[in-house]
Amino acid sequence: MPIFDKSSESSVTRAIISQFAKDMEGFAETDVIIIGGGPSGLMAARDLALKKVKVLVVERNNYLGGGFWIGGFLMNTITVRAPAQKILDELDIKYKMYEKGLYVTPGPLACSKLIAAACEAGVSILNMAQFDDVVLREKNRVAGAVINWTPVSALPRQITCVDPVALESKLVIDATGHDAMVVKKLEERGLIKTPGFGAMWIEKSEDAVVEHSGFAHPGLVVVGMAVSTTFGLPRMGPTFGSMLLSGRQGARVAYDHLKKKRD
Amino acid sequence: MTTSRRSGTELREIDLFSSENPGGPDLGPVKSYLKSLLPSVSVKVLPPALRRIAGTRAEAIARRLAMARVKDIGAADQDFEPMFGEVEYELRTLAGKARLGGVVYDARKVAEAVVNATGQSSSLRSSAIVFTDRLISTYSRDDMRHHLRTVLCGFPSIISVPGIVEAPAKPREYYVLKQRMESEGASDLQLAELRASFRDRFIDHGDEGVVEVMKGLALQAVMYHLTLTPFCSDKNCRLFNAHWQEDLIKSQVRSKRLCVRHAAQLEALGKSPVLRWS
Repeated sequence: MPIFDKSSESSVTRAIISQFAKDMEGFAETDVIIIGGGPSGLMAARDLALKKVKVLVVERNNYLGGGFWIGGFLMNTITVRAPAQKILDELDIKYKMYEKGLYVTPGPLACSKLIAAACEAGVSILNMAQFDDVVLREKNRVAGAVINWTPVSALPRQITCVDPVALESKLVIDATGHDAMVVKKLEERGLIKTPGFGAMWIEKSEDAVVEHSGFAHPGLVVVGMAVSTTFGLPRMGPTFGSMLLSGRQGARVAYDHLKKKRD
Repeated sequence: MTTSRRSGTELREIDLFSSENPGGPDLGPVKSYLKSLLPSVSVKVLPPALRRIAGTRAEAIARRLAMARVKDIGAADQDFEPMFGEVEYELRTLAGKARLGGVVYDARKVAEAVVNATGQSSSLRSSAIVFTDRLISTYSRDDMRHHLRTVLCGFPSIISVPGIVEAPAKPREYYVLKQRMESEGASDLQLAELRASFRDRFIDHGDEGVVEVMKGLALQAVMYHLTLTPFCSDKNCRLFNAHWQEDLIKSQVRSKRLCVRHAAQLEALGKSPVLRWS
């Protein structure tokens, strides 16, 4: 008696294609497209999806989580400062107190739980796809993203006709880290001018990243390290607590905006 | 405006506007301190000046504040179109929906925004001292760059609460060691330990010393209003304009006193708080 039920190769192929085609058709028009599946993007996605917002995360790698798998010096212990441990509680991620206000948790546990939480909340994921351009509407409002498969960027120059596709959305969230790819695309088009990194005389910057998480341009919200690039805040290292809180703050701003539009 | 000695303008009231972020320092001790020096002057603690502003006025002030950001520390005047997101952020701060911090603003432009928001009285009988959680700077022609400030004396005066920690320079050894540790890839924890090892040599966020410094800075603002000369060259006097943290601690936290000359001047002003601008 075989362990698995019988199925043909063609059935497997049809299952993949039909389900993916159905998903892709849904992706063509969503409430929010989040570019970047790191901790801030996943957090924003999860919070929005829990409020019944239709969310698509576009991630250029085959894996989600960005730098959340490992901490400093490639060691996979993640540190989180209060009050961000409350989010670990919410996501049912076990952690230990290292000292008052500072908590540690294994990166693989925290990252996988965050991905699971986003997926379970109903977030759709399109991985191995990368952001190419923005869709613009009246008064240059961002109204979607143009994407292509990640391997396309690795094709030889001779192969040029691999056109992308455009997905429409009410809002786009830039969660692409210090690259701030969506914001930079607007800058390329002369629609925004980012100030560059702020002066280093200020030692505290994580709070500023969380508080600035929000609209950068009509239709475009920024979260995570992209906030630092967009607003010229002092550059900072990967502090995961602020990434989670930034994602939450971005989701709050996005949700308030969508709700206002709906009412 | 007429000179004060001729008109004999008397300072009647001081309005202390609280800083914006919730949980900020209590201005009660600052009020008591000023009251002890100027008993006949009414001192009031008011809500933040740049808060609870709504409608189109809020948008105009948010835009002013967004344009007050210092984006190039080497440029005296920065004329730029603010980003949509910068105005949005300022709107959230005006509505109390975002905390302030991490951004440097041109102090003079913040003062203009305050005047715009509060419609400050044109009478010199009233002095406005605005505490803020914004970091403020002014441009110095000496070295052609912006410098963080703890206080901008004027009408109104602006006092930056985080500026108390960030503006005066920390000991040179701290910066040298920090730079070396960062270049060696030190962790946040190691840098926090370094900071802790300099505990007595600079004021940190939330330290008790912050309130003592706020008293001294408020007095400097009042002295500017009364005499146009707010500062003293004596490092043991509360009116000393400290550019180093160790001097700030010495003048405001350890000494807590005025020099003989300013003690006598304050005693006279306490009896008769008339503006002496000549």
